[in-house]
Amino acid sequence: MAHQADSKRMLDDRGYSGRTLHGGNPAALLEKAVLDRIVESYYWKEQCFGLNEATLCDRAAELTCIGGTFGVAQKPTPFLCLLLKLLQLVPERDVVLCYLRQPDFKYLTALAAFYVRLAWEPKDVYATLEPLLADYRKLRRRTREAFAMGYVDQFVDDLLTKERVCATSLQKLPRRRDLEDLDVLEPRVSPLGEEIDEIDEDVSPAEED
Amino acid sequence: MPPKRMTANPVKPSRYRPGKALAEEHSSDSESGEEEDDETLKRIPEPSRTTAAPPKAASFPSSTISTNLKKVDLNERRKEAAAKEVARLEQEAQAKAREEEGFETESSAASTKSDSGSTESEAESEEESSSEDETPQPKLLRPVFLKKGQRQTSIAAANAKSEVEAYAEAEARRKEKMDALVQEQLEKDAAAKAAGKKAWDDDDEGLAEEIDDTDGIDAEAERAAWRLRELKRVKREREAIELAEKELEEVERRKNLTPAEREAEDREYIEKQKAEREGRGQMGFMQKYHHRGAFFQDDDVAQELAKRDIVGARFVDDPMNRDTLPQYMQIRDMTKLGKKGGTKYRDLKSEDTGRWGELGDRRGPRESGYGVDERFRPDRDRERTGANAGPLGERKRDWDTPGGQQDMRESKRQKT
Repeated sequence: MAHQADSKRMLDDRGYSGRTLHGGNPAALLEKAVLDRIVESYYWKEQCFGLNEATLCDRAAELTCIGGTFGVAQKPTPFLCLLLKLLQLVPERDVVLCYLRQPDFKYLTALAAFYVRLAWEPKDVYATLEPLLADYRKLRRRTREAFAMGYVDQFVDDLLTKERVCATSLQKLPRRRDLEDLDVLEPRVSPLGEEIDEIDEDVSPAEED
Repeated sequence: MPPKRMTANPVKPSRYRPGKALAEEHSSDSESGEEEDDETLKRIPEPSRTTAAPPKAASFPSSTISTNLKKVDLNERRKEAAAKEVARLEQEAQAKAREEEGFETESSAASTKSDSGSTESEAESEEESSSEDETPQPKLLRPVFLKKGQRQTSIAAANAKSEVEAYAEAEARRKEKMDALVQEQLEKDAAAKAAGKKAWDDDDEGLAEEIDDTDGIDAEAERAAWRLRELKRVKREREAIELAEKELEEVERRKNLTPAEREAEDREYIEKQKAEREGRGQMGFMQKYHHRGAFFQDDDVAQELAKRDIVGARFVDDPMNRDTLPQYMQIRDMTKLGKKGGTKYRDLKSEDTGRWGELGDRRGPRESGYGVDERFRPDRDRERTGANAGPLGERKRDWDTPGGQQDMRESKRQKT
């Protein structure tokens, strides 16, 4: 189906016939209250109208913070608005990987990571997001009242472990252990692999004593 | 030309106000505005001015005249121009009339008209004068018949534009200027945005800038911080694994014990719990109960708070025994003391009017003889009835002697 410029189809659940995520309307991954805030915000109305995968990069290049809603009136951040746009577009796998792996715009990477966590299967989520745990670029996080400092790896870790990130309730991800037991994934080798082994060697002789 | 005032009401004559200059008629303000714009392209089109100097028919600004005249060498030119001056004067008068009525003469057309610099300068100065005259009053001169040779129809036709066209032209020019201005503004905005000065729709730019998210400021420190985080994550994972393994071990162990041993362990555990609970205070009589709430159970802070002993806590004014208080103060929630409501009903037991739970020998007829006052008992049970019920005094012996009675009377009299 051709991409609709406005979001009417996506928001009206009755006759939804676009691409589905997890068996349903992608907008259902966000809560209704948050959806309403996004769709009524000026950023969505002015900047997010008629975006496609390419023009979305322009917007994402201008992002300066990640975050959910802020303020008394629960105003959404541009980050969240672009996330809804991604959910509306449901881009191809290659496109999302391209967003993730480009080295220039870290907020676009964060956005793609968020989308991956919401949209893809658990196996793919772990496989795609774990390399990002080695990325220690700084991110500006917008909390409800003020700003805070964050890092890409911290953000990805939150996505993998927490239940609620950026005003969104994340779907339950099976634990990595369970997937390892099912032989779907390999046990994780940390980027600090050698150092940890060294620490273990240091510790275990001490314990033996 | 659109009317100056948007109302249909007739224009009232302007009143005299002391100290203020009289407002002149404004019908040709827009014309002067157009000419000014023509002259000075950079200026924003000014609104029509209300103060106007009365125009002078032949007032040339002295400065331009003097400079231009200095350029001209009159000695040479006078002879050449002398013959043409009469005809030219007539033409100039007509041109001026047309100008004053709102016709524009382009400077190029004027220059083609005249070869010499003097007429050029005069034409220029005329234009300038007319443009600098803020409201040249429209003088409708009598049309003068020119012979064919004297007419300059082709050029004049080219010059003479109808009022409407001139206005349209002026409008177009004004629009261009406005567009140019708006364009400038937009470009400025875009430049500012590109420079990162203004985030989209964001007033908290200052707050945001406090958190600096540029990478590579201190690469070593950043790497070290990341290493720390990564180690913490690995540690967290390991602890989770260890916990799971311990649970499995425990389950295995218990399976291997006999049932008796299992019971023994359970009892131990329960007793330990009881000991803990006893350590805490008891709920007093009618003490307010505070529920800890169902949310925030994952919070470590909340868990710390949950270990507090709220029930056993006592404060200075806390009455240990509420019975010592007067009855209207014996309430569970002391914040409701003295407030409307809650004054009557205390609890079921105290409000009950029946003899709840009193048991005794219940036999109907016996009831009448007991439990009532002595005066209401039936006569069957009495020894003496009526006035004889109370004690009688002693009988006097000397009733029969006649004197005795008199003596008794007298003795009685003496007493009184």
